[in-house]
Amino acid sequence: MMQMAIKGIGVVGGFGCGVAELKGALEDGRSRLSTLTIPSAAGPITLPAYCATTERLEEYVPKRALRRIDHYSKMGLLGAYLALEDAGMLGSDLSRLGVVIASGYGATATTFAFLDSLITDGDICASPTHFANSVHNAAAANISILLGAKGPSLTVSQFEMSVPSALLSARQWLAEERVDAVLFGAIDELSDLIGYLQHRQCGPQHPAAIAPLAPGESSIIGEGAAFLLLTRKDESRAYCTIDAVETGSLYQGDLPLADDALLLVGADGRQEVGARYRATIPADARVACYTPLYGRMPAAAAFDLAVAALILQRGQAYPLVAATGGSLPLTTTRICALRLAGAHEYASVMLTREVMP
Amino acid sequence: MTHPWPVAITGLGCICAAGKNLDDCMIALYRGERAPAAPKRFSSSHPLRYPVFAVPGFEEPPEMLRTSALGLHAAEEALADAGLDPESLRGLRVGVCVGTTVGSAMNNEAFCRDYRAGLDPDLEPIERILRSNPAAVIARAFKLTGPCQTVVNACASGTDAIGLAASWIRGGLCDLAIAGGADELGRITYNGFISLMITDDAPCKPFDRERKGLNLGEGAAMLVLESEASLRRRGHRPCSYLLGYGSACDAHHLTAPKPDGEGLRTAIAEALACCAIPAKEIAFVNAHGTGTPDNDRVESRVLADLFPGVPFLSTKGYTGHTLGAAGAIEAVFTIASLECRLIPRSAGFTTPDPELGGRPVGECTKIEGSVALSESLAFGGNNSVILLGRRGTK
Repeated sequence: MMQMAIKGIGVVGGFGCGVAELKGALEDGRSRLSTLTIPSAAGPITLPAYCATTERLEEYVPKRALRRIDHYSKMGLLGAYLALEDAGMLGSDLSRLGVVIASGYGATATTFAFLDSLITDGDICASPTHFANSVHNAAAANISILLGAKGPSLTVSQFEMSVPSALLSARQWLAEERVDAVLFGAIDELSDLIGYLQHRQCGPQHPAAIAPLAPGESSIIGEGAAFLLLTRKDESRAYCTIDAVETGSLYQGDLPLADDALLLVGADGRQEVGARYRATIPADARVACYTPLYGRMPAAAAFDLAVAALILQRGQAYPLVAATGGSLPLTTTRICALRLAGAHEYASVMLTREVMP
Repeated sequence: MTHPWPVAITGLGCICAAGKNLDDCMIALYRGERAPAAPKRFSSSHPLRYPVFAVPGFEEPPEMLRTSALGLHAAEEALADAGLDPESLRGLRVGVCVGTTVGSAMNNEAFCRDYRAGLDPDLEPIERILRSNPAAVIARAFKLTGPCQTVVNACASGTDAIGLAASWIRGGLCDLAIAGGADELGRITYNGFISLMITDDAPCKPFDRERKGLNLGEGAAMLVLESEASLRRRGHRPCSYLLGYGSACDAHHLTAPKPDGEGLRTAIAEALACCAIPAKEIAFVNAHGTGTPDNDRVESRVLADLFPGVPFLSTKGYTGHTLGAAGAIEAVFTIASLECRLIPRSAGFTTPDPELGGRPVGECTKIEGSVALSESLAFGGNNSVILLGRRGTK
């Protein structure tokens, strides 16, 4: 199976922006918890949330060019530029670059804004700008347009499994040599809809922090973009390699998991998913989880991959936000990023870093 | 590479305004029948009633999005056509790759209206969306264990889903894949496309001088793609082949195609290169042909340059523009037309446009050759092309 190399990382989330700020959050074991206020029948409700800001995008794109671009696409653009910069590819020839975007829910704020235009102003006043930007592949389009990337472009929306599912297709593009590099990213945004869903599904008591593997509900919503610059494995500098991507549904038997790898789990404080993680993780496994740094969102699976790459680069896990098994510091050259959803869906991504003798 | 091009296609299924199965659709197409009408399932306050192509007499179960129900209907037909029942899928690694636009969008208007009115609406409409992911619905219905992907590349989604699923087969990720597209009609896309001023208030006229825009449609089509090993194991013959797939982005505009068709040209070249098929072997092209002034201008110029004299048509005059389903519906029509060695007339076309590079077929046309192209152009500048071959073209 073809190995992919992670050559660049671009992240924006509640912890801040870029690899340095993500590393800072990982070292501190803390992120910047903010709030999201949504309307309700009983008045405004304030929820804890990990919010992302995109001011740094203006370092890469003139403000004028961003006028009609919404927050969702801006997060994607910032992640894309940061990943290319981190890989040393900003300004390079991007004619053989593919763009793959994974999103659980797409541009939900713009989708609601389009509905608002229908509801408030009537069918005849529907906003064409909101409609065009609410299409799921709008972020991929904005990225391709601003970068001048003319290779294939793919957007995947598989809800919780969007990231590993899209990663499969990114790998196939590289394996079949349709492209020489893939700008792979995941984006999800906070909006009234996401806040209301969280409040109704998990409220009204809101936690101070995510306790991912503990029984009980402790999820906190987040937003952000996590981008990876992927190539086929070669001799040049890379954080690590992605050796295998497995996704599917398991109706019987146990999920086969490598017993020598650090298990980086995508548990995010949701009660029902937490129970499935606890039932799946072997008793003797070494387990880490960093979701409390970026929050609950489908795109968190790509943040997990970015964190895995940083761990493999330094050879040991960061101070653990949530962990079981093994003693600190946890050294590792192999990580299995595990994600579970629903009753049957699973994904595992195996990442390694070769250690020179 | 574990599996070279081509990839075998062993089953087809289709539901759209032209019919509830592929046979009925092709009968309607060859007869030139089409019945666009004002929408009946939803209302609009627009003074003009823009016609749509709805699937008549199809009701989705209340717990599922119509999009996903349409997709499941087409998948059942495709699996039956492939000679596969649910039991025969046990033990096989079967993937699902489905293109859509509406099927994973969190946009329930009634919920939004109630929420904005401060009514704290029940979550059921949103939870229905969350449990109706089109690919996941098919995977759950048949208890499939392989990879599952919903492609949201706007109007190229169905074509991309087929090309990507073929890549999974080639890469050994699954033994068999159900691939296609599904989308439903609704007020949101109806009003959205009208707001962009690319909708015709009369039946659409792709490639015609008087074309004014598209008509929306709904439907689904699914193909069963199968590895050589799986075919050998069950002693089955393919009905056709996917010979190539190409895609490229214009990187030009969010909703308009690049005037020189650069991305489409690249996608076509990539698809042809997969099996080293020369352009002169193309029997016909099933064009995207939405009926919008821009799309048809760009597409006809590219076709005139790359495939001079090759017959082309748009089947959207029979189905409307079914968005994420369009590429898949047009793929199964292309295969069926190759089998029949006959392409239907390009419905809606009567008056040639001197500004266009060519004119579509004005009547049912016999074709020579066994290879055809189906192409999709989409919002976001996505251009995707698949190359399809009749049985025996391998």
